Amino acid sequence: MTAIFRIESRNLLRGSLLLTGLFVLLSTFFLAVFPGFADEAELVEDAFPAFLMGLLGFEELHTIEGFVAGYLFPIIWILFAGIYVASVSAGMIAADIRTRRMDLILSTPVSRESIVIQKIAALWVPLVAVSSGLFVVIYAGAIAIGESLDPVALAMAHLLGIPYLLVCGGIGIVLSTALDRVERAQITAVGLVFVLWLVEGMGELDPEFERVGIVAPSRYYDPSAILVSQEYALLDAGTLVVAFLVLVGTAILVFVRRDLS
Amino acid sequence: MCAQTTASDAEPIDEQSAMRLDSLTKRYGDVTANDEISFAVNPGEIFGYLGPNGAGKTTTIRLLLGLLKPTAGTATVLGTDIRDRRALTETKADVGYLPDTLGFEERLTGHQILDHFARMRGDGRREELLDLFHPPLDKPVETYSHGNKRMLGIVQAFMHDPALVIMDEPTAGLDPLKQDRLYQFLEEECAAGTTIFFSSHILSEVQRVCDRVGIIRSGQLVALEQIDTLLDRGGKDVRVHLAEPVDDAQFVTEDMIDVEIVDTAVQFTYTGEYNTLISHLGTFDIEDIEIGNPQLDDIFKHYYGDDAAL
Repeated sequence: MTAIFRIESRNLLRGSLLLTGLFVLLSTFFLAVFPGFADEAELVEDAFPAFLMGLLGFEELHTIEGFVAGYLFPIIWILFAGIYVASVSAGMIAADIRTRRMDLILSTPVSRESIVIQKIAALWVPLVAVSSGLFVVIYAGAIAIGESLDPVALAMAHLLGIPYLLVCGGIGIVLSTALDRVERAQITAVGLVFVLWLVEGMGELDPEFERVGIVAPSRYYDPSAILVSQEYALLDAGTLVVAFLVLVGTAILVFVRRDLS
Repeated sequence: MCAQTTASDAEPIDEQSAMRLDSLTKRYGDVTANDEISFAVNPGEIFGYLGPNGAGKTTTIRLLLGLLKPTAGTATVLGTDIRDRRALTETKADVGYLPDTLGFEERLTGHQILDHFARMRGDGRREELLDLFHPPLDKPVETYSHGNKRMLGIVQAFMHDPALVIMDEPTAGLDPLKQDRLYQFLEEECAAGTTIFFSSHILSEVQRVCDRVGIIRSGQLVALEQIDTLLDRGGKDVRVHLAEPVDDAQFVTEDMIDVEIVDTAVQFTYTGEYNTLISHLGTFDIEDIEIGNPQLDDIFKHYYGDDAAL
C-alpha cells in the first residue's frame, strides 16, 4: 500500500522545490559575503555576546568551515528547515481530517497506522531536495570564492542533520494527530521547534537552561563539530532517530484511538 | 426499488445481514447523536436511511466505517464487528463509500484521483462506470462543479465492485437527469446483488429507490418500515385553487386531513384512493391543482403524533 505515500510525496514536491530554491539563494548570498567577512571575523567574534555565539554555534568564523557551520547551518538547516518540516508534518493528518479527505481515505482498506507511516515517509521529498540542493550550492559556492570544503565532512553535516529534521517532523505529526485545528497544530509545532532551539542555545550560557536543553533536538546535532573538527557524533544522531521513532509511535497511538470529528 | 428483494419484515439472522446495528450509541458530552439505534440491512436491498439534516445520519455512517468509536452498542458491517479495527480495515476492501462532503485532493485531476483509489482497492469497473457518469477527468478537481464532484465520487465508490455501498446524500448537486441515471443504476446494482445503504433527507428519492426505510430523528430511530407502508400512511399533499369559494361540508371528505380552506384556495393531505379523489375533484371547477409528496415533517405529525414533529 503506497497510494497515500505517493500522493503525499507529490503534495510536498512543489513546496520542497521552492524551499530549496530559497535556501540556495540564501546560501549564495551568505557565501558571497564570506571573503569580506573573513577579514572582520575576529571583530565579529569579539563583538557578539557569548549567548549569541552559543545560539548559532560559532566556532572558527574566519574559516569557511566555521562560517558555513556557524551561519548557514544554524539558520538555514536547524531553524528554517526545521520549522518547515515541523509545519508540513503538523498539517498532514489534521488537514485531512478537517477537509474530510480522511473520511474517504479511511473508507478504503488502509489502517490508521499505515496512514501515519506513509505520510511521514513522504518527508523524504523535502529532505532529499534540501540536502542535495544545499550540498551542491555550498560545495560549488566555496570553490567559486576560492575556498574549499571537505566534501565528506560537508556530506556528513547534511546526513547527520537529517535525523534532526526527522525529529522536527515527528513533533509535527504528533500534534497533527492530537489537535483538531490545522492552524493550531502548525503554530504549536513551529513554536515548539523554535523554543527548543532557543532553549538549547541558551543552555550554552546558563547551566539552568543546559539541563532543560537536553530535550532539544538541536543539542544532538552540531554542524560546527562536524565541519570544523570532523567529529561525527553518530550516537547523537542515533538518539535523534530513536526520538523520531518514539514520536511516530506516539502519533500512531493517538491517531488510532481518536474519533474523526 | 430493487425487484430482487423480497419484502419481509422479519429480522434476518446475523450472518445474513449486510449490516446490523445493535443499540449503536454515540454521545458527545450531553448530546446524544445516535441513541441506541438498532436495525438490520438485508443483502441485496436498497435501504433508505431517512431523516432531516442534523438528525444523526452521518454520525451513524461514520460509526459504521470506524471513523468514530461508539459510546455503547455496536454494529456489524458485512459480518465484521466495527469494534474490531483490524478486521474492519480488511472488510473495507468490499465496501464503497460516497460521503456527503467529498474530500478529494483538489489539485489532482479526476484521472489521478481515480488512479489513487484504484491503488488502494482496485478499479475493475472504472470504464463501465465512466460511461454512465462522466466528470471531466482531465481537469483538476478544484475546478469541478458539485455535480461533477458527485459523479467522480460515485465512480470511486463503485469501481472496485463492492458488496456494500454506503451513500450519504448521494444526489446532492446532481441535475435531475443524472439523478435519474443514478436511481436506475442503483436498481441495476441491487438486482446484481449489491447492498446499498442510502442516506437522505429527501423522502421522494428514498421512495423512488429504496425497499425499506429507517427514519431517524434527533438521534433516535423512530420508524423502520417497508417504503410502501410508509407512503400509504403518508398520503399526498394536495393544493387546489377553485374558480369560486367552496362550501366546506361539500368539499371535505373523510380521507382528507389537515384541511385548510382560505377563500378559493384549499390545502389538505389526502390518505384515500387516488381515483376517488380525482372523481371527487372533478365535480368542482378547478383553476389550478398541485399534488405532491408530503414533507417528512407532516408524515411524522400525522402518524407518530405531534410529539414526533421534527
